[in-house]
Amino acid sequence: MSATITAPAADAARTEPGPDPAGRRIDWGQPFVYLVALVIAAVAIGPVLYVFIGGFRTTADLNANPAGMPDPWTLQNWAAVLGSTRFWGNVLSSMILAFGTTAGVVVVGVMAAFVIARYTFRGREGLYLLFAAGLMFPLTVAALPLTLLLRTLGLHGTFLGVIIPSIAFALPTTIIILVPFLRAIPDELEEAAAIDGTTRIGFFWRILLPLSMPGLVTVGVLAFVGSWNGYLLPLLVISTGTLPQELWPLPLGVTQFSTQYSQDTGAVLAYTSLAMLPALASFLFAEKRIVGGLTGAVKG
Amino acid sequence: MNRRSTSRLVALTAAAGLAVAALSGCATGSGGSEGSDGDVTLTWWHNATSGPMPAVWEEVAAEFEADHPGVTVEQTGYQNEELQRTLIPNALAAGDPPDLFQVWPGGELRDQVANEYLMPLDDVIPDTVSSVGATVNPWQVGGETYGIPFTFGIEGFWYNADLFEQAGIDETPTTLDELVDAAGKLREAGITPISVGAGDKWPAAHWWYQFALHSCAPEVLQAAETEFDFSDDCWVEAGEQLKEFLGTDPFQEGFLGTPAQTGAGSSAGLVANGQAAMELMGHWNAGVIGGLTADQQVPEFLGWFPFPGIPGAAGDPTAALGGGDGFGCSADAPPECAELLEYIMSEDVQKRFAASGSGIPTVPSAVSSLEDQNLAAVAEGLAASSFVQLWFDTALGTTVGNAMNEGIVNLFGDAGTPEDIVTKMQDAAATL
Amino acid sequence: MTSVIESAGPAVSAGSAPAPKPRRSRPGTGRKWAEIVLFVGPALVLFLGFVILPVVLAGVYSFYNLPQAFQWDDLADPERFVGFENYIRALTDPAFQKSVGNNFLILVLSLLIQGPLAIGIALLLNRKLRGRGALRLLIFVPYVLAEVIAGLSWKLLLQPQGGVNAMLEAVGLGAWQQNWLADPNIALWTMFAILTWKYIGFAILLMLAGLQGVPEELAEAASIDGASWWQIQRHITIPLLGPTIRIWVFLSMIGALQLFDMVWVTTRGGPLNATSTMATYMVEKGQFGGQPGFGSAVAVILFFISLVVALVYQRFALRRDLAGAITRGVR
Repeated sequence: MSATITAPAADAARTEPGPDPAGRRIDWGQPFVYLVALVIAAVAIGPVLYVFIGGFRTTADLNANPAGMPDPWTLQNWAAVLGSTRFWGNVLSSMILAFGTTAGVVVVGVMAAFVIARYTFRGREGLYLLFAAGLMFPLTVAALPLTLLLRTLGLHGTFLGVIIPSIAFALPTTIIILVPFLRAIPDELEEAAAIDGTTRIGFFWRILLPLSMPGLVTVGVLAFVGSWNGYLLPLLVISTGTLPQELWPLPLGVTQFSTQYSQDTGAVLAYTSLAMLPALASFLFAEKRIVGGLTGAVKG
Repeated sequence: MNRRSTSRLVALTAAAGLAVAALSGCATGSGGSEGSDGDVTLTWWHNATSGPMPAVWEEVAAEFEADHPGVTVEQTGYQNEELQRTLIPNALAAGDPPDLFQVWPGGELRDQVANEYLMPLDDVIPDTVSSVGATVNPWQVGGETYGIPFTFGIEGFWYNADLFEQAGIDETPTTLDELVDAAGKLREAGITPISVGAGDKWPAAHWWYQFALHSCAPEVLQAAETEFDFSDDCWVEAGEQLKEFLGTDPFQEGFLGTPAQTGAGSSAGLVANGQAAMELMGHWNAGVIGGLTADQQVPEFLGWFPFPGIPGAAGDPTAALGGGDGFGCSADAPPECAELLEYIMSEDVQKRFAASGSGIPTVPSAVSSLEDQNLAAVAEGLAASSFVQLWFDTALGTTVGNAMNEGIVNLFGDAGTPEDIVTKMQDAAATL
Repeated sequence: MTSVIESAGPAVSAGSAPAPKPRRSRPGTGRKWAEIVLFVGPALVLFLGFVILPVVLAGVYSFYNLPQAFQWDDLADPERFVGFENYIRALTDPAFQKSVGNNFLILVLSLLIQGPLAIGIALLLNRKLRGRGALRLLIFVPYVLAEVIAGLSWKLLLQPQGGVNAMLEAVGLGAWQQNWLADPNIALWTMFAILTWKYIGFAILLMLAGLQGVPEELAEAASIDGASWWQIQRHITIPLLGPTIRIWVFLSMIGALQLFDMVWVTTRGGPLNATSTMATYMVEKGQFGGQPGFGSAVAVILFFISLVVALVYQRFALRRDLAGAITRGVR
C-alpha cells in the first residue's frame, strides 16, 4: 500500500477526538461480535448441513417431517452411493478434467505471463489487452459455436474436448493474476543471473518459477475449483458423447442422478453431499494459499 | 547449459503438441460407429430416465448384444427436453449424431428430413413399419417413413379415486361444467383439485390445447399446422375459456413453479402422494406416478378419464389430443441400427413395454398385454377417437410451439391475455 | 477488463523495464522473438481458437435466421441473412427487457447489500477472535461448492414442502412460509438471497486480502491516540480498502450481468420470467427454442452491455487505482 495514500487517512484518524481510553478496556463489542459470527456461520453452513444430515434420513422420514433430525439414522443412502461404480466413475472423471485443466492452465499461463511481464517488444500491450479482454466473454456466449467447433476437431465427447476450452477460458484470469507476480520479481535478480551467464529462459526456469510459486498455486487452485464445478461445458461436450454415464463428471452426475431418482430424496441428498466433499476438502487444504494468492493480486 | 535448457523446453512443447494431436486423433477415431476390427458400436439415446423404462431399455440393449456378437449398444437416457432441444439438434448439426435416437414428429421431423439427417426405413424394415399401421403416419414425410413410434396414446385425467370419493364425487366428469363442479367439491373438502406442472410450461399449455381442440373445427386445425394460419376466432376463444376456467382456482398453490415429473413436489408427485386429486397428462403418466411413490408401485387409487366434452363447441367432440415417442436411425448409421429398431418394435419387446405400465404400445397385438387398467382405458379412448391431434407444440415445431407455450403460461400467471397467445404464435411464425 | 490493460502501461514503465536503463546485451533479436513465440504461442493459439473464434462466430450467426439444426451452408443462403432483425426482435421483446432489468436489479442489489455486508464481515473477521480461522472456512464453504450442487440443494430446500418452510413452521413462524421460487413476486428476491449466500464468501475473501495490506501500525497508532475500533475502521481501514472495494465492484458487476448457472439450475428463469437473466434468455431461445441465430444476437447484446458497463466504470472509478491494485501486485 503506497504511503502517499496512507498518510492523509492516518492523519484524519489521529486528529479525531478519541473517547476515554479507559472505557475501551470493557469491550462491549465482543459478545455481540461472537453472536454475529455465530449467525453468519449458521447461515453459511446451514443449508449444507441440512443436505448432509438429510443424507442420513430415509425418504419416508424426510417426506413426513422435512425439518426434523434423522429418525431413524440410516447409513443406507451413503453406503449405496459409496458402493456404486457410478459415483466413483464420476469422481474419477472430475479428477481427470480438473487435473488436466489445472496443469494446462498453469503451464501455458505462466509461459505467456512470463513474456508479457518481462520482455519488451512491440505488441506486448496489445497482447495483454487481448487476454484481459477475455474476461468479458462468458462461456455461455461462445457455447454454441464452440460445440460445433469441437465436433469438427473430433474432440466432442472426449475429456480433451472439455479440458482444452477450459484452459482457454481460464487463461485471462490466470494471466492477469500472474503478470504482476512475475513483474514484481526484482530486476536485480535477473541482472545478477545474467552476469552469471544465465539466459532469460534459464532465469525463468530456475529463479522465476520457484519465486512465483504462491501465484502459481493460486491460479492452479482457482482453475481446479472452476473445472471441478464446471457444468455448461461438460453438459454440451461430455453428456452428449459416447462416454457412459459412469464416466460423467460430478456436476452432470449429480443432476442426472437427481432426475433419475427424484422420488428418493434421501439418496439424492446423500449423492449431493458426497459430491460436495472433494471440493470442500481441496479448499480446506488450499485455503491459505487462495487467500494468500488473492492478497498478492489485490493489495496495492 | 543454457542452450540445453532451451532445447529441452522446445522438446517438451513439441511433445505436448504431439500428445494433444495424438489424443485428438484417437478421439476422432472413436467417434465413428465402426472400429477397425469389424466390431460395431451402436449409440442409442432415449428419454427414459425414471420409472421402469430405463431398466427395460437396458435389457433390450443387452439382449440385442447377446444375439449379435461383435455389436455393442451404448444406451443412455436423457432428460426429455434437453434431448429434444439441445442434444440431438447439436449432434445432428455437427454431423456426429447417435445411431438410434428419439425422433419427434411434426416440425422437427420435417427439418431433419430436409437436411437428410435420417435413414428412410421403408425398404430396410418394411414389416416393422407396417406393424404399427396408421400410427406411423406422423413419422412420415412425403410418404417415406423416418421413424417408428413404440408408444402412442392420448391425454386425459389421472385421478385419485379415494379423494374423489372423499369429496362426494360419484362419477367422473363428462362435461366441462361437471369438471368445474367436481373441482369445487374437492376444494370444499380441503383437497387440492388439480395439479399442473406449469414450471415446465408444456403441462400448462396442454390445457389450452384441449380448449383449442374443442373450439376449433378440424379444417382450422389443419390450416394452422400447414400454413400457420391462426386467424380464426376459435384460437382466442380457447384462451378465453381457459381464463374462465382458471378463474375457478382449480390448481395447486404455486403452480407456476411446479415441475411436472421430478420429485415428490412435482405435479405428478402430488397426485402420487395423495396431495392433489387429479392431473391432466399424457398416457405415460402412470409410469411417472408409479416412479414417484415410496414403494415404486402405481398406486391402487389411480384412475383415468378422458378430457370432458364442451357442449356446443365447434370442434369435433370425438377428437383427442395425443402423441407418441418414436425412434429413428441417423442417415449414416450402420445397418445394425435398423435391426435394433426392429427388435425394439418386436412383439415380444412391445409386450414387455406394455406390461411395464409405461405407456400404450403401438403394435396392436401387444395392447392385450397392458396389465394396468388405466392404460387399457386410455387405449380404449384412443380406439374410440375419430382422430388424434398431435400435441400442438410438436405439430407446429419448436419456434412457434415455444412461443405458444410461453403465451399460455403467461395467461396462467395472469400476465397475458388470450389475444397475446395468438399474437405470439403469429409473430413466431413470421420469423420462420 | 480493458481497464486493467490501460493501466498496465505506467505500471510497466515504472516497474520492470525503465526504458533508458541500459539492459545487458541480449542474444540477437531473432532469438528473442523465437522465445516470445515459443512461450506465448500455446496460450495465444488456445485463446484465439477456443475463445475468440467462437465468439466471433456467434457474432456472424447473429445476422442470420438459422434453423435449429443448421449447417455451414446456411450461412451462404442469402434468404437466411436478416441483417439486424434478430437484434430488433430481442430489444423489443418484453421478456428480454425484463431479463435485462433483472440483471441490473441484481447488480444494484449486489452492490448495495453484498458490498457493505462483505466489508462488515471482513472487518469482523480481521479482529482477534476465538475461532476466527474456523469461521472464515465456514463462510467460504458456499463459494467453493459447484453452482449445480448448491442450486439443487436450494431447490430442494425451497420447495413448498421443503426444509425452509418446515423450519419456519417448527420455530413458530409458519406465517412466513412462502412459495419461495414459485411465486413470481418474490422469486427474484429469493434468487438474490441464494446468490448472496453463494458469492459473498468471495467478496469477503477479497476484502480480507485487502485488509492484510493495511498496516497494523496505523491502527495501533490511532488506538493509542484514543480512536475507537469503529473510528479506526471508518477513517483508516475502509479508505485504505478502496482499491479492493473498487475491484470487487467491478467483478461483481460483470458477474451479475453474466449470471447463468445458478438461475438455470434452480428456476430456469421462471416463473413467468421472474428470475430470467440475459444469459438464461439466450440459452432458452438459442439452444432450446431452436433459434441459434437469434440466441447469438442476444449473446452479442449481452457482451456489449457488459463492455459498456466495464468501460464506464473504468472511466469514472477504476482508472486511478488499478495500477496500484492489480497490475503492480505483490509489492
